[in-house]
Order: sequence, then C-alpha cells, then structure tokens
Amino acid sequence: MIKATICLMFFVLVGCSTDMLSLSPKTSLGELQAFDTKDRVIGQVNGMYASMKSGNYLGGRFQVYNDVRADNFLPKSTNGVTNYQTWNHSVITSTNEVINLWGAVYAAVNAINIFLEGLDSNWKAGTLTGKITDAEYSQFKSEALTLRAICYFDLLMLYAQPYNKDNGASPGVPLRLKANKTGEENDLARSKVSEVYTQILADLNAAEPLAIDKYTTNLLNTTRIHKNTIIAFKTRVYLHKGDFTAAQTEGAKIVSATAPYGAATGVPIGLNATFAGIWATPYTTKESVFSMPFTDTNLPGTQNSLAWYNNPSSNEAYYLTTTPGSTFSQMDATDARKMLFSTGTVSGTTVYFCGKYPSFTIQSDYAPIIRYSEVMLNYAEAIVRGGNAVTQKAVDLLNAVRTRSFPTGVYTLASFSTVKAFLDAMLLERSIEFLGEGLRNMDLMRTYSTIPAKSGTSAGSVSAIAPGTPTYIWPIPSSELDINKLMTGN
Amino acid sequence: MKKISLLLTFLLFVGMQAIFAQTRDVTGVVTSVDDGSTIPGASVIVKGTTVGTITSMDGRFTLKVPAGARNLIVSFVGFTSQDVLLTNAKEYTIALNSEQIAVDEVVVVGYGTQKKRDVGGTISTVKGEDIKMTPVQSFDQSLQGKASGVIVTMPNGVLNNPPVIRIRGVNSISSSSYPLIIVDGVPVFTGDVSASSAASNALADISPSDIQSMEILKDASATAIYGSRAANGVIIITTRKGMAGKVKVTYDGYFGYTSPYHLFDVMNATQYVEHKNRAISNNPTSYGSQFTIPTLNNAPVNTKWSDYIYRTGSQQSHSVTISGSSPTTNYFLSVGYNNQEGMIRQNSYERKNARLNLDHKLNKYITLGANLAITNSFNAAPNTGSLSGQAYNTGGAARLAFVLPPNLAPYKADGTYNIDGSQIGSMGQPQTNYGYYNPVAIFDLNKYTAQNDRLLANFSVTFQPVKGLNLKTVYGMDNLSVESTIFQSAITGDGFAGKGYAENDFNRANRWTWTNTADYSLATLKEKLNFTFLAGTEKQSTKGNLWYGFKTNVADNFFETYQGSWVTAGMGGGSQYENYFISYFGRINANYDKRFYLEGSIRNDGFSGLAEGKKFGTFGGGSFMYNLSNENFIKTSKIAELFSDIRLKASYGKVGNMSGIGSYASLSLYSGGLYGASPTWGFSQAGNSDLKWETSDKYDVGLSFGLLKNKFTVEMNYFYNDVNNLILNVPQSPSKGIPGNTIPMNIGSMFNKGLEFSVTSHNFTKKDFQWTTNFNFSTLKNEVTSLAPGVTEIIGTTSGLETTNRTMIGYPIGNLFTVETRGVDPQTGRRVFVNKAGKEVLYSHESPAASRWTYRDGTGNAPAIALTTDGKISGSPLPKIYGGMDNNFNYKNFDFAFSLTYALDFKIYNGTKSGLRDQRWWNNSVEVYETAWRNPGDITSIPKPIMNDNVSNGSSIPILENVEKGDYVKVRNVSLGYTVKNLPSFLGIEKIRIYAQVFNAYVFTKYTGSDPEVSTNGNTNLTAGIDRNSAPQARSYSFGANITF
Repeated sequence: MIKATICLMFFVLVGCSTDMLSLSPKTSLGELQAFDTKDRVIGQVNGMYASMKSGNYLGGRFQVYNDVRADNFLPKSTNGVTNYQTWNHSVITSTNEVINLWGAVYAAVNAINIFLEGLDSNWKAGTLTGKITDAEYSQFKSEALTLRAICYFDLLMLYAQPYNKDNGASPGVPLRLKANKTGEENDLARSKVSEVYTQILADLNAAEPLAIDKYTTNLLNTTRIHKNTIIAFKTRVYLHKGDFTAAQTEGAKIVSATAPYGAATGVPIGLNATFAGIWATPYTTKESVFSMPFTDTNLPGTQNSLAWYNNPSSNEAYYLTTTPGSTFSQMDATDARKMLFSTGTVSGTTVYFCGKYPSFTIQSDYAPIIRYSEVMLNYAEAIVRGGNAVTQKAVDLLNAVRTRSFPTGVYTLASFSTVKAFLDAMLLERSIEFLGEGLRNMDLMRTYSTIPAKSGTSAGSVSAIAPGTPTYIWPIPSSELDINKLMTGN
Repeated sequence: MKKISLLLTFLLFVGMQAIFAQTRDVTGVVTSVDDGSTIPGASVIVKGTTVGTITSMDGRFTLKVPAGARNLIVSFVGFTSQDVLLTNAKEYTIALNSEQIAVDEVVVVGYGTQKKRDVGGTISTVKGEDIKMTPVQSFDQSLQGKASGVIVTMPNGVLNNPPVIRIRGVNSISSSSYPLIIVDGVPVFTGDVSASSAASNALADISPSDIQSMEILKDASATAIYGSRAANGVIIITTRKGMAGKVKVTYDGYFGYTSPYHLFDVMNATQYVEHKNRAISNNPTSYGSQFTIPTLNNAPVNTKWSDYIYRTGSQQSHSVTISGSSPTTNYFLSVGYNNQEGMIRQNSYERKNARLNLDHKLNKYITLGANLAITNSFNAAPNTGSLSGQAYNTGGAARLAFVLPPNLAPYKADGTYNIDGSQIGSMGQPQTNYGYYNPVAIFDLNKYTAQNDRLLANFSVTFQPVKGLNLKTVYGMDNLSVESTIFQSAITGDGFAGKGYAENDFNRANRWTWTNTADYSLATLKEKLNFTFLAGTEKQSTKGNLWYGFKTNVADNFFETYQGSWVTAGMGGGSQYENYFISYFGRINANYDKRFYLEGSIRNDGFSGLAEGKKFGTFGGGSFMYNLSNENFIKTSKIAELFSDIRLKASYGKVGNMSGIGSYASLSLYSGGLYGASPTWGFSQAGNSDLKWETSDKYDVGLSFGLLKNKFTVEMNYFYNDVNNLILNVPQSPSKGIPGNTIPMNIGSMFNKGLEFSVTSHNFTKKDFQWTTNFNFSTLKNEVTSLAPGVTEIIGTTSGLETTNRTMIGYPIGNLFTVETRGVDPQTGRRVFVNKAGKEVLYSHESPAASRWTYRDGTGNAPAIALTTDGKISGSPLPKIYGGMDNNFNYKNFDFAFSLTYALDFKIYNGTKSGLRDQRWWNNSVEVYETAWRNPGDITSIPKPIMNDNVSNGSSIPILENVEKGDYVKVRNVSLGYTVKNLPSFLGIEKIRIYAQVFNAYVFTKYTGSDPEVSTNGNTNLTAGIDRNSAPQARSYSFGANITF
C-alpha cells in the first residue's frame, strides 16, 4: 500500500497539467490582442506606413529606381546589388529589384488589408467602443485606403504600361483587396490598368471625406495622411490617367487662386520660402506634403537609402549626366537647385551629385513622396493639357516653382509659342525640381516618351528605349509567375 | 528464506568455533588483476566462519585461521569474490578480477541501461577512452569513422567549428538533420552558439576526458523512447563514475602543434605579373597599363599572403581526475585545461572545466546521485570566411590567402599598413580599387570572440522499495551563457565605412529537464522468461534570452570594445523564446530463454510550439531478436564450432523531428517596430495551426554473429527510413504579401536506405602481442519523393550569392547543379559550354556583349549561357559509401594505433577552384600559370587568359569543370605509445604511458581542392558538398602522457 502510494506520488508530482504548453511570445503580439487598446490600433496605423517605408520601397529604392531608369543619372559602380541592371535596362524576371519591390509593395498592401479588415470587424463588433472615437475610426480608415491607393499606383509605375498608351487597356497588377494570412488563394489574375486606376480612385475618393483635416504637429502633417495629402495625390493620379478636368478640380481645392499659393483649408500646405530649407532637419516644412521619416534608430538600411545613391561619399552613388541636352546642362548656374549639388570625382573627373540627401554617415534624411511644388506643376500641366492652351494661370504656377530657385528665369505667356513648348518646359522644370526624388521615370512613362540613351565613364552605354520596346517597363517577377498560376508576364 | 539461512549460518558458526579452537597465522596481499595494484580494505574471511579481517592500506593482511580451515573468501566491492584454497603456505598473493570483466557488458539506452546481449535496437558504442587524447575541441569531432552509419564531417580547420553529424543520412529538408544529444539524461544545447566570427560549438563545453561512453542510437527501436526528437538518431553521452577499488588519480596531458594540411600553390609576383599582363594583352581594353612589381625598401615585392594568414599553432591540454569508491559512495572529480592555437592566426580556443560526479547509497532503499560540471571556454578568431554564410566575405581570411596579388605588400615603405580606406592599397597598379582587405591590418586591428559559461548538472534520487523495482527522479539542467564580441577598427576593413564598429551579444539559454521513471524487472518460468518494464514522465523547459548592442563611430582608435567611448548612440536588439515539452513514455523488454527477445517502446510528446488541440503526438517502435546460438539444435551442431552468438533482428518504429518547429510557429503574430519616432505594430508571422512534427518510419533488419570463438564479431544491418510530413516553407504568391512569402507546412517526403557492416577482428591475442581491427562500412541512398505542390525544385545558395544546389523530386537532396562544360577548345583556347539544346558554345570575354557567346560549330552568335536555363544536375554531394577502420597494436609495453576514415562515390563543387582560375586581377594557382592555353593545339583544362574574364572558369556561373569526385581515404590518426609500469614506489606513480600522435595525418584523394572533407555551408541539408573559399583542414602533432598515480 505504501509502495503504491509512493509510486503514485511520483506521477502526481509530475502532474498532468498542460498549462505550460500554451506559451506566448514576449516580443510579439498574438493576433487576437492586436486591437485591444487604442495605442495598439494607432500602432497598427503607423505599422502600415512603416511597411511602406521598407528600404525596398518608399524608404529609398522605389525613388531610386525611378531616377536611375531615366536619363539623369550615371552609376559610379557596376554592382548589381545597387540597381545597375535597372540603370542599364537589363532587369529580368529574376532580378533582385524586380522581385524585391513587388514583394515590398504587396507586403504593405497586405498589411493595409489586414488592418482594414481588423478595424472594420472590431468596429462592427463594438470591441473598439470607448477605445477610439467615430472620428478616429474614419481617420484611420481613410489613411489605410489612401496608402493602399499609393501602393497600387506605384506598382503600375514600373510593372504596367502607362495609362496613356491605350487608355488603361493593358494588363495591370493583381488587385489584392482582402487580408491574406493563410496558404489559400495564391492564384489571382491581373486586372487591367484601367481597373487598377478605378480602384485607386475609389479608395482615394472614399478616403477624402473620412480624412482628418489636420494634425497637431508639423511632423504628423508631413508623415501621416490628411485630407490635403489625399487631394495632392489625386492630382498626380488624374494627371497620369489623363483626366485633366479632374486634376484641375483637385488642384483648385488646395492651390489658392492667387499667390502666395497654398491650401486654404486643412493643413496649410504651400511652397517653402527656400529650396534648400526643404532638405534640412526637421524636414517638415509646409511643402513636404508627404515624406517618410527616419531617425537615428529607424534607418532605411545601407544600399537602400537615398543618401547611399546620391551622396558623393558613397562608392555606389549615381552622379549626374552633364552632356549637352541633359537636365544638368540646362540649369542656370545661379539656380538654387544647381547650387545644392555636391561634387565628387569618378576616374579623376569632377562629377556632380544630387545634394538633397546630405546625411551620409547616418542616412536619416527623410524620403520625399509628394511635395507641394509637384501639386502646383500637376495643376498647371492639367490646365494646359485640359484646355489645350497655355494660360496665364498655368504660367504663374510654373513660375512660382521656378523662380523660387531661379529668380531671373521668369516665364511669360510669350515664352511659349505652342502648347508643346510649354509642356517641354514643364517636363524640364519637373526634371530639375524633382531630381533625385523618383519622379523622372514616372514623367517619361506618363507622357509615353522614349527613355533617352545614356553613357557613363565606367558603366558602359545604354541605348534609348522607345515606347513599345519590351524593356520599356519592368517584367513581372518570376517569384509571382512561379506560384500564381493566373499571373501573366509583361 | 534468507533469514533462515542466516540463522543456520549463525548456529553453524557457534558450533564451529567450539570445534576448531586451534589456529595458525596466514599472511598475504590482495591485488587487482587489472593493474597489479594492491587493494586496501578488502575483506578476507575464513570460509564458513566469522573469522576474518580487512586488508591494510598496502593491501596486506594477517589472519589467525583455525587449524582445520580449508578456504579463504576474499572480497571487495567491484571485484569478483575469490575462494582461495589454503595450503601449507603461509604467504598468499590473491589477485581479484574486477567485476566489469566478469559481468555482461552493459549498454546505455534511453532512460536506463541494458545488457548488451539483450539489446534488440541498433546501437553503436564509442568509449571515451578512445577519444580523449585526440587534439580536437569537442568530442563530436572524434566520432569520425568510429561507428557504422554515422558520418561526421569537420567543415574545415577553423577551431571549434561544429562538425556536421549525420546518422543514417540526411533526414530532413528544412529542419535540422542533427541528432539529439543527451548528456547524463539531459538533452543539451548544440550547434554554433557564437554570434561572432569566432565559432563556439556548444558541445565543446563537455570535456572529452570526462566521457565514459557515447552510445549512438540509430534505429527506431532504440530511439523511439525519445519520440518526437528521435528521427535524426540520438547520441547519449555518459560521463565517468568512480570505479570500485582504491582511490585512483590520473593525469592526462598533451602538447602539440598544428598547421594547415594543404595550402594552394599560387603564383609568385614574377609569375603573376607575367600572366596577368598576358591576359591584358589578350584583352587590351581591360587596363590602360600593365601590372608591375613594385619595389619596397630596395627589394621587389613578392608577398606570399598565406604566410601572413596561417601559422604553426601550439596546443596543450591537461586534465586530472580523482575517482574512487567506498561501499556506499563513488565519486569522480576532474579538472581540465585546454589551450589551442589554431593554424589561422588569431584563432584560439581555451577551455577550463571541472566536474564532480557522485553517487551515494543512503540506505538499503535510497540512492542519491549528482553530476555537476562547469566550464568556461573562450574562442577567438579573425573573420575566417569559413563559417556558414561567410564564403564571400571580402575580409574572409581563407580567401585572402589566395586571392590577393603577390605584387602587393602588407606594409608600405614607412612600415604602416598598405591600405586605401577600407581596402588594400594598390601600390601603383593599374587596378586601383581592389575591394579586398589587407589581412595583416584586419588581423591586427579587428577582434571576434565568443565566451561560454556552462553549467551542466543533474541530481537524482532512486528509491528501491522492493528488489527489481526502481523509482527514480532526475532533475537536470543545462545553463549556457555566451558572450560574443565584435570589434572592427575604423582604420581599415569592415569598420572603415562606419568609422569603427563594436558589438556585444549575450545569449543566455537555460533548460531544465525533470524526469521520473519507474522500472521493474521480473523473472518467471524458472527464470526463463524475463521482463523489464519502464514507465516515465518528463518535463522540459527551455528559455532563451538573446540581446545585443552595437556602436559605430569610435571616439578614438584607442577604444576596442563596446564599452569604450563612441560618438554615435548605440543601438541594439535581441530575441526571446520559451518552449516546453511534456512527455509520457514506456518500454517493455521481454526475453524467453535467452532465445527470443521482444522490445517495445512508446512515447507521447506534447510541445508548446504546436497549436491548441494539436500539441500531442504519439510515437513508438519495437524490435524482435532471435538468438540462434542458444537453440539446442545449433549448440549441438557443427555451426556452433564456427559461429557463436548468432542473432537475427528486425525493428520498426515511427519517430519524429521537431527541430523545424519554432517556439511559436503555430501562432499568427504582430511585431513591433518604428515609423520614424512612432511605435508600430505590424503583422509579422502567418502561423500554421496545422503544423506538426516531421515523421520517420524506420525499418531495420540485422544479423550479427561471432566467428571462430569470437575472433571476429560481425554486425550487419539494412535500414530503410521513410520520412514524411517534411516541413517545407511553402512559397506563397508574393502578391499576397504574407511576411516572408512562405508558410511552413508538413508537405514533403523522402527516404534513406542503406546497408551497414561492421567487424571487429582480434587478429592476434598473444600475451605480448595483440592486434585488433575495427572496420565499418555503410552505404546510403537518399531520394526526395515529394515537395510542395507546384514546387519542382528547391534552390540552395552558398552564402546567398551562388546557386550551387538543387533539390528535386526523384534525386538525392541537394544535388549539385551546374552548366555542363567540355574542357577547352584546343583551337581557340575557349571554354566549351553546353547549352540546354546540347549544342557547344564558346565564350570570348573580350568581345562585345552581343557576340561573346558563339556556337563552336561556327554558326554564329549563341544566346548567353545561364544557369537557370542551361544548368543540369551534376551529381550528389552525399557519399554513397563511407566508414572507417581502426587498428590497435600492443607489443609488450608498446602500443601503436592508426585509424582511417573514408567516403566514396560523391561529388564536391570546388568553387574555390573557380576563384583560383579567375582571370580578373585575382591571383591564380601555379597550374594556371603553367598550363593555361597559349597556342592552337594546346590541350589543357584552363582557357586562354583574358583579363577580367570571370565566366570561363566558373566564377559567375557554376560549371561542371569545377565539380569533382570527392572520394577519399583519410589517415585520421596515428599514434605510438609506450607504457612504463613498476616504477619505484616512492614516486607514487603506478604507471605512465607516453605517446606521440598525428591527427589528420594524410589524405588519399584525387580531389584538387584543399580537402575533400569540407562543408562551406556548415550543418546544412540543402547545400552540402560545397567548397568555396574555406580554410583547409589542420594537421596536428601531439605528444602526451597518461599517468596513473
């Protein structure tokens, strides 16, 4: 009997408790707790931005791809890791850039979709009651919708033919609008470019009335979506879509009728007094409508940052084309934007680098996404293209941007004998103004223009790429084609 | 019954004393047969009486024996009692046999021991005695070739780089194929636990000289008791215990030196400049000027870089043990010190360890036991470029030794480092930007260390309420702390860009295991039918805390540590995990009449990493064994004269592999981060709530027998292991945006099968000369039978850059994959590539991009060769045949031994060769200088040198030219010893053995790389058989002494 008791005791000591088999991590949150507090909801809102801020996407590389694909930049290095194949138009379905950008943008899309679904289901279930207000619910939803629109728009920039080619009849990208957390639903066909535009505008139009008017700090106004951010972005989308009337309508919402130009309601976005001031701490002037923030402890990562690609100290930076006809060659020596250039040497020759990103040691310069000057130029271009005539208003808007940096470069109506002359001047102005901000390739695509030839000292030469050439846009990545059975290549 | 006999004895004594009143004096000495030492405390009793005494400290006794006494009974714990016939002699020398010899050999099995002859599972035993003198860092490195079915590969000669151990092949794709390691009943941490370039094998914390035996459990019958962790086999380490007899003090020590076994013969400066300038003349647009030999301090530069990277390192090891036992207590105490310099400069290893093992019999019912081992080990290394993931490091020492040009010098004329920013200075050469570091500078300036503090301990209580029943509880722990440091100087090298870099990493891993078992033995049917039952439960908790901090921008080059002064604010991070096992297990062993043996075990494992409701799984296995030799019809037949101990056995079991399941793999998780200065939450892991262990169905049949009165003992096994539910990271469409684009699922399958053969041959057993041979031989066939739906292959890359292996259905795992090449076209000197259509294509690097690739048949330009389109399966890196052989000779006081290991029928991708032949500015092998193509008609394997050609020799696309047969026979160890006994007693030394040995003595192979025993990618399943920029193996000479006091 005693023995039996002792035997039993051994096993009692061990017990049959299986509580210890249910352990949860201390450094990650279970998905059921993700909406438990207001801070966590806000954390997830910021998380959507953070996923877009990936070094492979808006943290730097997306802008760099759109710069170096086009004609203004030449590489110091032929390292494939630092976008050499993007520069010389030799990317294939398995090239890192092609795979990594696709993955990063869609990771952000899924993060956004997961948040949207969670936010809506928790809101409907009432579990957020008392944690966030109706206004906050609306605001968060508008931010999510806007961010998703930006993601899809950016995907179209490299992986699809421009809308302009055939009114969006070309294949776009798969529209993922639901949260993905399981191994299901790998297959999804591409929507047409026009269908993707429809979705982008649907998201933006839904977001606009829900959006917050303004935040309490300049930092939030620059780094979070508010009503004017949405409108600003819509000017870009409509311009790309060729809907110039709508672009004008959106532009008029945030560009005052007379100088000094600025938004009358919401965040008072407008031009900063000086061009150089935009690129210095705290990077949150009224002109920086939307930028990705970085801090010493939150960096884009080497070989991702804009500084890595634009700062002369980097061995893998890109320097400016200075040949006759280049953007550089058409800039006046007194132009503040040219003064901002820094110099370095490649093979013993002095070369110029875009000076917008001076923080090379730490690489914490903010990455710009949309600036007020673009809104003004979008508006001006929409007026001219929409009316097929150069107007004083359009010239005034162009001048406002131009003469801030180049006071003696004032245009008048007489400067433009034709609409084309204006549009050429506009394209050049944009090339100058947004150098190193990733708009140049978008502008070439939008206008269905040839990507000019270029030739570097040590990097070889690249022929011009005419519209219709297979390399005019990027291929669809092999990583998607391999798995998604409904996917088709470019 | 017993009581009655005691009573009778007592009555008898009383009676006898009355009868035998007369006495006489008898004296003598009691010694041990083993070593002739005297035994104090032995009991000497006149048979059938209470008259007796105990031997004195020098083993002597004097006893008054009754006149009629006929026999003395001499006994001592741990020795077989001896019945000594009394003659007229007064002086007796009584030599006792130690009990180990007398009883059956015992084998350690899961949660217990069994008599070797009762074991139905497949278990190989390696004695600690056989490995303790090997000049390695960890015991696992010495298992090479010692057991059939076990292949152990030392990745290269970097100190304490964990060896790759495979028991019966590769048994997983994405999980680990590394066996479960149990030390004194406690599963211990394994693998490289360092966070820096200084490798630190967790198993090196166990001093090889503390090991009694290593049991390698191979089939499912032997391993099933370990359930979900058994699929890769189990290695049970048992540490030493105090042996019966007087207190034994031993000293084991060696000193020695080590140097690289095989360095490449690369061009000197004169050859280099001549060759490279010829390559420039074949591609004039490559450089505007020629390479030259600079003059430094009035002498031409001619640097043999390997002299600055390798050295002859010295090594020493000392260990002292004190062991002994009393009738109730046995103890083993050891202290050890081991200090090894590696063959690579700055690479060193130091271990300080102490152990106390104690068993104490408290009373008739209760026995207490404790094992306690503490170890401090310190690893330091430069960036060797030889650990997994480092193959392409520009600071990798092994690569720098052959890639750097001999016309560059380590120092400038003024004695300062020849550096240009982060890289080596160009000294006026046309190449201005070498990209590689100056090894002398980074060896001097940078530091990488890893320091382990390890506590391995357990405490047990065994309660034996009745004979045959043992209730045992064991609490064991493995506490491992590792501090790793990295310092990269701002002066040059990796730290240059950030103006210096320092990082400290701390990893604290704590595990406790609490095991409770009950075993009961029973014999019935006139002791013909024997049963042993075992039932038990086990809980195991493992917690890991890892954190690190790093700083950049050093305030002053004086500072070389994280703790110093740095300009930029430090950053850091880390990870935490915790997991838990609850297990229930049982085993039954039965045998009838020593002829029929049955064994069955079962284990139910619950693991915290699996989803709710799916945490538990049941595993089990069993075996049947038939000992023919105990059949009367055999005993009486002629067979018995030739064969003895003939056994047939068969086993089957289903076991699991949990290693691929992370602590939180089933959960969908959100992780924190930052958006500028704002905290964020984001979806970070799509968990799979259906995830479960990988399963192995293992089948085994075996035959073993002795031949010619056990002159030969032979064991043969055939095994088949069907592995299912392999966890594969199933690729998801990237457009779904799932973090990592994969979800782990139980989806793949493969099998391993093979034959194992081992023989022990006692070639000579004369008194003065013995010669024993152990030979083992194993075959292995591996085939992947299914992968995830839609996945036809899994690509394996070396250090993330070179695609070298493909795992495909119908082939062995990790096949090499290259583009076929057919030597060099004698007419043009071009490399002949073969495209997917089978057409031969030539490559001319100096041509314009569009016309570099041309058809050999002259039909114009060909599409560029690419691995993805033109690659082919190029052989398996898994040896199909492998094994080892040990020979031990004893002649009088001399002993001589050598051991061989071999691996046959496998391929190695010699990526290093592509580097040694690369026609950029890289230095080349002398072979290139001597045999590269020059004139039409030249038959050679090295194409016409074209400056900057990185294609023709395989740098940019892996080519078949660099796939070689890896077959080798290696003389692992040769030793010669001499033992001195009967030393003058005042020395207090019983015996001394002195010896000399060579480790990694010689390799017979046609492989042209440094060593065919290589694993650039470490303990990997998918990318085995790659030799890329790894350090060579080390050859060590050592001289040592084993002294018993």
